[in-house]
Amino acid sequence: MSMSDANIALSAEMAARDNMITCRGVKKWFGDFQALTGVDLTVKDREVMVVLGPSGSGKSTLIRCINRLEVHQEGQIVVDGIELTNDLRNIDKIRSEVGMVFQQFNLFPHLTVLDNITLAPVWVRKKSKVEAEATAHELLERVGIPEQAAKYPGQLSGGQQQRVAIARSLAMEPKVMLFDEPTSALDPEMISEVLDVMKDLANGGMTMIVVTHEMGFAREVADRVVFMEAGNVVEINEPEAFFTNPVSDRTKLFLSQIL
Amino acid sequence: MSEMSGPLVVPSAGAAEIAFGVEHEIAPEDPITPPGRWMRENLFSSWSNGIQTVLFAAILIGILKWLLNLVFAEESDWASVATNIRLLFAYNYPVEQFVRVWVSLGTLLAAAGLSIAAWNLDLSFTLRKLGINTATGGGVLVLVGILTPGTAPSDVRAGMFVLGAILLVIGLAVLFGVKDPHRKRIPFEALLISVAGLVVAFVWLFPLGRYEFAGDEASYASGTINISTKGPWTVMMIVLVASFLVGKALGRVLPSGALKGVMAAFWVIGPAFLIFVVLRDPAFDWGYVWAVDVPMALGFALLGGGVLYFLTKPGLGELGRIIGAVLFGVAVFNWVAAFFGLYPMLQKGRISFMLLAVFAILAPTFAGERAARLRFATGWAVLVVVMHWLITAINTPSTLEIVAPPFLGGFILSVSIAYYVMLASFPLGILLALARTSKLPIFRVMSTVYIEILRGVPLITILFFFSIMLNLFLPGGMSISELAAIFTGYSLFSAAYMAENIRGGLQAIRRGQYEASDALGLTTVQRTMFIVLPQALRVTIPNLVGQAIATFKETSLVSIVGGFELVRIANQTIPNQPDYIGQNRPALLFISLVFWAFSYSMSRASRSLEQHLGVGTGR
Ligand SMILES: Nc1ncnc2c1ncn2[C@@H]1O[C@H](COP(=O)(O)OP(=O)(O)OP(=O)(O)O)[C@@H](O)[C@H]1O
Ligand SMILES: [Mg+2]
Repeated sequence: MSMSDANIALSAEMAARDNMITCRGVKKWFGDFQALTGVDLTVKDREVMVVLGPSGSGKSTLIRCINRLEVHQEGQIVVDGIELTNDLRNIDKIRSEVGMVFQQFNLFPHLTVLDNITLAPVWVRKKSKVEAEATAHELLERVGIPEQAAKYPGQLSGGQQQRVAIARSLAMEPKVMLFDEPTSALDPEMISEVLDVMKDLANGGMTMIVVTHEMGFAREVADRVVFMEAGNVVEINEPEAFFTNPVSDRTKLFLSQIL
Repeated sequence: MSEMSGPLVVPSAGAAEIAFGVEHEIAPEDPITPPGRWMRENLFSSWSNGIQTVLFAAILIGILKWLLNLVFAEESDWASVATNIRLLFAYNYPVEQFVRVWVSLGTLLAAAGLSIAAWNLDLSFTLRKLGINTATGGGVLVLVGILTPGTAPSDVRAGMFVLGAILLVIGLAVLFGVKDPHRKRIPFEALLISVAGLVVAFVWLFPLGRYEFAGDEASYASGTINISTKGPWTVMMIVLVASFLVGKALGRVLPSGALKGVMAAFWVIGPAFLIFVVLRDPAFDWGYVWAVDVPMALGFALLGGGVLYFLTKPGLGELGRIIGAVLFGVAVFNWVAAFFGLYPMLQKGRISFMLLAVFAILAPTFAGERAARLRFATGWAVLVVVMHWLITAINTPSTLEIVAPPFLGGFILSVSIAYYVMLASFPLGILLALARTSKLPIFRVMSTVYIEILRGVPLITILFFFSIMLNLFLPGGMSISELAAIFTGYSLFSAAYMAENIRGGLQAIRRGQYEASDALGLTTVQRTMFIVLPQALRVTIPNLVGQAIATFKETSLVSIVGGFELVRIANQTIPNQPDYIGQNRPALLFISLVFWAFSYSMSRASRSLEQHLGVGTGR
């Protein structure tokens, strides 16, 4: 794919924005197994991109490469003008600008909700404890659970835990948020409370990459939808066109299976 | 059965109500099963179960009978223990200086009282538990009375029956006379005061008899124990209760965590102070102290503190790393220079420099706002001053005039060694465990080699090696006392086991925890200190306590390399006293009881610690 291909399906307004994330020919192997086979992708500033694809297609691997939880072997990933290389300073910088929310929440079970949220701002951003706590309380308010600050993660429901995890990421004031199936481990009645928080974030202008199986969310919130298959991007389009008029056969098959 | 399954079928809406803090019903009383039914249900529920019960009861009674025969055998002279309590406890510590021992014990008890208050440990009892324990204790005592052989003094046997019956009646009265005994709690204050009161009443009222050495002769008089024993114990109990109450009061005034911090610091350095400053009473040469020691300590504290304050400035970047590396290089070179005798330097200078380098390397991790930087620098200053004081105290001759030189012996020696071996091997074990799980092969290999070698060698060998050989290998001008050598060897040995225990804890941590920390931008050091270790150590507590118990018991090996600890005193010193020739059995039984009581309390304490820390982790 060429550079212009990577920018397909962008409205004129969107195309004029800065690139927040650029992937060029990203390849990744686990041992002999190739999980990414040369991904080209551009995410614009304040864009919400939803990533779909069958299990094992490399969705997680791709977004984990973007904050260096996995190391890609070939190609180039540039986040906010900084290229991800082995230089530790670049990695530190990108990690403090890119927030990540995991399927399994990954809260720190031995710390209270408040400490979960303030830990990184205090130790990484070097904020004062007082300032960090004030921000934490604001964030908890924003995700709708201001009263849970003193509890431990184990005392919260799944939906509440995931919202704490989102608040924890936001406390670092990231420029980009990555979501890896944030609602897949939740009971159905808790999914919407997490999706609502994510919608608010998107409306607030956060740049987001969201791996999810929530088609409603993709239709409503996404600027573009990406379909991945066998380690590469098969189709990128605006949600309306993507769902009503998919181009590739593989996408059609996928949509027919899950819709 | 239907009663039992009741709570399980509550509709899930009920659970949601509880979660939102809506009033809910009190759990129904867990009824006390009458002893007859309990036995039918638990011990004789089937034929095979009944046979097993009878068999095990017979074996237990047989063992108890055998033990009691040992205890009350005609040739067992228990006066050999009673007379030698002081020897077993403190070995040859001079009697006229014994106030130092009491001051040390009092300080420890005061610290214990303050700590219980500071951590708000809930050691209260339900009446039900109290009743069960009292009744069981009474029952066992009556049984022991029945099994006690005729060789025992008749008043001892009668005493067992009377006391056992009283306890049994009280226990049953509490259990069946009080309504809802499992819901009524005895507050810890009341418990503490009654236990202290019982101890005081016991030493003042119970006619244990008065045993002592007059000159070299053992002497005995009837009546209650010596005023030189019961007086101090009374004070000790008052100190314990008072310090707990003071701790409670302080907790209301001080900011939360302040008292905890002070007490934690005390438990690290306090005992060393008691040993080397209070018990050992160094004869400081004050002229030299003011001319050399004080300036040196203050110099390190202030200059080092300044450097560290600078290094914790956020965003120092490369410069900070370079300064840290240079300091580390100089610190290492100081030791190299010592080996080749290049330039003279006091040992504590080398140690301080090395410590400063470690602090400097850690500094970027602790960078932050002004208050955090000041805390870091102050922490360093306090640590260095205390360390210098200790090293100076250890290296100053003692004023004590001791018959046979080691100033520590007996129970105090065992406890001190075990305590500080655990304390020293803890950080070392953590480092080894981290190295062994590290991604860098060189760390992994070094740590694995260290651990496997030390675990493969008997402790005795290591103690021999360190007590005899270490001084031969040290470069000219350096030497190390026998006690320090034993302590070093034992700590290095223990660290290997500690490392393996902690490694188990490290493996229990899920990968998601590492990923979340990384995604938040924590550095490796921060991730390790704030996320990985706190969780790993929690999981490791039962193993660590197991190791602490083993360490405590194995201090008996110290006797082989010259230490006068409990086993040696019981097995050699006492049987060689003219009055008690050959009497080692009572003393060995007695120290077994001491070891057991200590180990058992440690394992109980560990269980409540686990529960205390387990709260809220959701696991
Ligand atoms: N650490 C790893 N080691 C080896 N193989 C891996 C590893 N992580 C992922 N893979 C493989 O790489 C491929 C892509 O995995 P990835 O987790 O990115 O898929 P996914 O699209 O997120 O799937 P899912 O929807 O199931 O989460 C899979 O075949 C997977 O087995
Ligand atoms: Mg995935």
